[in-house]
Amino acid sequence: MGGGGGGGDGEPEFQIAPMIDVLLVLLIFFMSITSAQVLRIDKDIKLPVAADAKKKEDKNAMFEAAINIRWLSGKQESKIKLDDRELSNEEIVEALTDRKNNNPTYRVVIRGDRDTPAVEVQKVMALIAQSGIDDISFSALNQDG
Amino acid sequence: MAHGHKNKRTIEGDNLVMGFQIAPMIDVVFVIMLFFMVMAGAVKVERELKTQLPGIGTPALSNEDTPPDEIIVTVEETGVVTLNEEEFDSPENKTLPNFTGTLMKLKQEADSRNAKVMVTIQAEEQARYERVIDVLNAMAKARIGNVTFTVGGEEF
Repeated sequence: MGGGGGGGDGEPEFQIAPMIDVLLVLLIFFMSITSAQVLRIDKDIKLPVAADAKKKEDKNAMFEAAINIRWLSGKQESKIKLDDRELSNEEIVEALTDRKNNNPTYRVVIRGDRDTPAVEVQKVMALIAQSGIDDISFSALNQDG
Repeated sequence: MAHGHKNKRTIEGDNLVMGFQIAPMIDVVFVIMLFFMVMAGAVKVERELKTQLPGIGTPALSNEDTPPDEIIVTVEETGVVTLNEEEFDSPENKTLPNFTGTLMKLKQEADSRNAKVMVTIQAEEQARYERVIDVLNAMAKARIGNVTFTVGGEEF
């Protein structure tokens, strides 16, 4: 087991350069996994969990609106935001109708708080239907945390 | 002479400081990597449950030769989920295993007859949205695509 002593004057030295290469590659890998996707979601909304839902495609994020439904359990009322703006129901319908007319494939993502009563979500669906958009999806998370 | 010697020493000193220190850099990279490794486990990715609102763009199911199988799912305030008035799973069970299993069987059976499955979700007004998503999740698992919602008798 003389332990690698064979080199004598040769250099059984620890090579630091390849190790740094590997480390950097690993670092980039883990950085890319931890994507900033989730950060765009309203912090005040606790999304429900649906592990079997499809992964959200990011490629057509330009042609979709997000409706955030916040539930204030203290006041027992919901706050609806289109993208990041708080609008009245009529304004939401107006804005969505405009966008739908400009782009027939326009879609809406509903991000509702998990404690929201179903009726609030259905009201939002009614607003979306009023503006003529039929392609909707419900947002959820892959795991709780 | 002495002056010259002193100069030489300072130059040597400078050289020592200028050398790029690889060890602290590795330390830092290691720490950053550990941070991202730990974070990677807890990554929450947004998922979506797609559906089509009826009335506008949905291709009419009635065009088909075989009429669709209609299933009515109700979600109650207490979290109870029923399928055609039969209760499934406990209200606390998020994964709804029996419900999902039954949906899968219904879907397979309908597929073998070339019929479509149409699910109507009747959620009580105060039922929690989370529970509705649980039901939709079970449908995604059973690959059922035609879902409509009703509330208070009025259909959206």
